Amino acid sequence: MDLIPGIDITAGALAAQKTRLDIVAQNIANAQTTRTPAGGPYQREQVNFETELLNRTDGANSLLQSVKVSSITTDKTPGQTIYDPSHPDAGPDGTVKMPNVNLAYEMVDLITASRAYEANLSFAKDARELAMKTLEIGK
Amino acid sequence: MVDPILQADSYQLAKKLMDSSALRQQAIAANIANAETPGYHRVDVSSDFALQLKSTYETGGVAAATKSSLQPVLAEDKDARAVTPDGNNVGVERELLAMNRNSVEYGFEAEVVSQNIKQLKIAITGMPS
Repeated sequence: MDLIPGIDITAGALAAQKTRLDIVAQNIANAQTTRTPAGGPYQREQVNFETELLNRTDGANSLLQSVKVSSITTDKTPGQTIYDPSHPDAGPDGTVKMPNVNLAYEMVDLITASRAYEANLSFAKDARELAMKTLEIGK
Repeated sequence: MVDPILQADSYQLAKKLMDSSALRQQAIAANIANAETPGYHRVDVSSDFALQLKSTYETGGVAAATKSSLQPVLAEDKDARAVTPDGNNVGVERELLAMNRNSVEYGFEAEVVSQNIKQLKIAITGMPS
């Protein structure tokens, strides 16, 4: 067991939430991207979380699980199609396929990810205080 | 000769409870980490640990209560209700409040252990702290 209880679990969570924040940032940045190397407009991506059993020396507590990003999947639902013949990526009928990024949804996801990150950070701070209290026994 | 001080009821029980609090801290870490994982159920130290500890202490005294076969274990919390449609039943606010409470309990138990050890120091050196 670590000196700071639960810190390895929290480390996994912080990494997972950070990956989620990165993907949200990518989605927001590409909200207007109509051309990608693969052809077609940008399709938003989302992260999927999964529990992760940590490799620990005291195998007694297999119920303690951390979290990891199991996959980053592309959302295939098509975005809006707008009519704009002057657009460089307009098709033969003058329509442009836009990315399927909904900014309102991305902002809510951003807030949720930040809140989860803060909750894990506040836990790490508290766990550290516990460890300091342990070190003060007998002083 | 130092055994009687280290055999004090409060010292032994506080040590046992500290194990339980440290385990609970890890359980809360896992719950907060998995607050959005689909299908995750919150875990906690099984509630019979406190009850068992209390009943063995009342019947058998501290020697029975602190024998090493009585250990805190983790179990899925049966009383938590599902919060989201995907089956995850972790409430972050509840976990953070449990964490706060657990910190105070741990601090108290550490203080009890610490005071018992300090008594030993006083006995040896004859001077407080």
